[in-house]
Amino acid sequence: MSNSILTSRLTEERRQWRKDHPYGFYARPQKNDDGTLNLFVWNVGIPGVKDTPWENGTYKLVMFFPQEYPAKPPKCKFTPPLFHPNVYPSGTVCLSILNEEEGWKPGITIKQIVLGIQQLLNEPNPQSPAQAEAYELFKRDKTAYEQRVRQQAKENIMR
Amino acid sequence: MPRTLHAETVLGQSLFQKISNCRVLMVGAGGIGCELLKNLAMSGFRQIELVDLDTIDLSNLNRQFLFQKQHIMKSKAEVARESALKFNPNINIIAHHANIKSPHFNVEWFKSFDIVMNALDNLDARRHVNMMCLVADVPLIESGTEGYLGQVTVIKKDETECYDCQPKPVRRTYPVCTIRSTPSQPIHCIVWAKSYLFSQLFGLPEDDDDERLEAEMTQENVKEIENLKKETQALKQIREAMGTTDYPQKVFKKVFTDDINRLLSMEDMWLNRKPPVALKYEEIEKLVTEGNSQLNYTENSNTLKDQRVWSLAENFVVFLDSVRRLSEKLMTEQANNPNASLSFDKDDPDSLDFVTATSNLRSYIFGIEPKSQFKVKEMAGNIIPAIATTNAIIAGMIVMQSFKILNEKLNECKTTFLDGSRRPQIFLSESLNPPNPECRVCNNTHVILKVNTKKATLRDFLDKVIHGQDDDMDIGEVTVEEGGRIIYDVEYDDNLDVTFEQLQITDGKLVSVKPDDTDEQNSSIFAISHRDFETPDTWFQVDGKPFAARNKTSVAKSSDYNSNSSFDNNSSSIQKRKLEESEVDTFEGLSRKRPATDEEILVEDDDIMVTDNGTQKLIVID
Repeated sequence: MSNSILTSRLTEERRQWRKDHPYGFYARPQKNDDGTLNLFVWNVGIPGVKDTPWENGTYKLVMFFPQEYPAKPPKCKFTPPLFHPNVYPSGTVCLSILNEEEGWKPGITIKQIVLGIQQLLNEPNPQSPAQAEAYELFKRDKTAYEQRVRQQAKENIMR
Repeated sequence: MPRTLHAETVLGQSLFQKISNCRVLMVGAGGIGCELLKNLAMSGFRQIELVDLDTIDLSNLNRQFLFQKQHIMKSKAEVARESALKFNPNINIIAHHANIKSPHFNVEWFKSFDIVMNALDNLDARRHVNMMCLVADVPLIESGTEGYLGQVTVIKKDETECYDCQPKPVRRTYPVCTIRSTPSQPIHCIVWAKSYLFSQLFGLPEDDDDERLEAEMTQENVKEIENLKKETQALKQIREAMGTTDYPQKVFKKVFTDDINRLLSMEDMWLNRKPPVALKYEEIEKLVTEGNSQLNYTENSNTLKDQRVWSLAENFVVFLDSVRRLSEKLMTEQANNPNASLSFDKDDPDSLDFVTATSNLRSYIFGIEPKSQFKVKEMAGNIIPAIATTNAIIAGMIVMQSFKILNEKLNECKTTFLDGSRRPQIFLSESLNPPNPECRVCNNTHVILKVNTKKATLRDFLDKVIHGQDDDMDIGEVTVEEGGRIIYDVEYDDNLDVTFEQLQITDGKLVSVKPDDTDEQNSSIFAISHRDFETPDTWFQVDGKPFAARNKTSVAKSSDYNSNSSFDNNSSSIQKRKLEESEVDTFEGLSRKRPATDEEILVEDDDIMVTDNGTQKLIVID
């Protein structure tokens, strides 16, 4: 048996998401080998906001829920890693609401997390750079940066 | 004269009889457990089962008095049983050298006890026993100690708070960015020294559990992808220099000079933070040569070396020397086994020297207060103090609570806190709180489901047990979950014709079923008990009423439990509570009477807190 605070919260998150979720997003627990769904690992798709260089792309992300969730935030990792100043080369998102020492609160829902990440896409935070490549291009040459982002959006059109 | 005569006289015939007939389960035979088993054996309990998965370690012997040197490596449960039977051979003790979480300790087994007593040292097992006692509806006495602090409380389904009614603080971990780039506290530097640099230099990256984290650590802050390769190469090259005279110097320059300068080049990072100051090898070396006499001061000082904070020069010298010593150790091991690696051990002087000096040098760089080796050992090793006297007092309190339960006076049970530093009033008691209506653990309906797990399918379960026959009472769509797995919901019906066994829903598992059309938190929990029922009509037998409207005995003010507070355990864990004279237990002979005035007292709100640094919070272990 695993911790029931954790699983009942995740079951509830799944129920809430099924009832209502923002347009263009998806979020579902990964399938286990035994045919059940793994509540601790979710596959998520985050669409770029319209009228930004990120539009038309749906960026794939995996959310890992630790045993201490919801006291601790899930780890959110773009797969493959995303070209973005606040995404580590490994794909992990660096965002204040996902940091237990900063903005994470146990009441934050999966819906709020994915909306927060969507917003981060076009509003990077240069004060906590996580990868040098995107960070430096963003600082140095906005046009080239946006072009790169548009290219990435094209590569991430959901089929 | 019978051994129990005194107990019989003091407790009275009626209670003593109840004690003799009471079947008690003790979970844990460690610090509190040894004391508790002695108390039980000497106060007339005759039917005791005890479970502990651990074996006896040398470090247990100072306080776990049922164990002696010749017992090292043996089962705690079994040795505790043997030792206790020596001073009371007339009782029946069954010892299980096993994990309390294993499925054969199922709900029906828990139900066979009159009282369960926890003497555990971890959150996970406490949660499990709490859950099992709720499902089995058996009273649980929960306890814990840390240093001079301790506490005991009683948990009873539907009548009191359960273990999970109040959120528990979690062990701190630190975000990668904080550890790698922006440390602000001594612990950040200690974690970096112990978990990052130590394993980079002397460990195998693969032998770290969190390989992803490692990958991330080495990759972040790298300027370009080509640079990334160079960086990894640079570190590898430096590691290849292991054993050469200038190896420690190379490592020093890389991590305390070059890497810091690279961090500084990310200017935005330091807009609102104090920028680090890179160390210069030659400058400190000069300091060491010139200030030779100052260094020797160490040996002559009145303060023990490990209790005094070292100077920059001392840390420098210890760093270089410990890198040399650890390299030699690693190379010696690699001579026999090319894949050998070292891992941090707080009791190994070389490792501890390395982590102390490394974390302090990093602290100097980031303007953080350096720490003594003694303190670093405590912080890096997550040392939690255990004191025999505290355990003995707490074990006594557990037995006192059990007498009240046996006398059917649950309303007289208390949550009792022990604080040895608050003399003369070392005990502080509170009435038990009613269940938290928002609790996701006890605010459920619990039933036992006897089922032929080999034959019955998920569809059978939904048709026969969940939806039943009465359409008017139907609860609509449900979500079925077990052990963090969604077995079924309205958008996921792949498993309908699969048997319980194939879905790994076997004897002892707990299946949660939650109606979709309700915003209430509560679910029905089905404790699975396999039976070889032969005909489809009788594949199921439910003991209890699932989805019965729960009779809420709670009298807690609902305003105390808005949904935010049940989620938010970042809020301060210390609350001021006003205690009335009447709420304070005086334990005859143990504590003095409280003054008859109202007094504001700081009470720790949660009964288990595990912290990394052990300084700011109470509790509870052992």
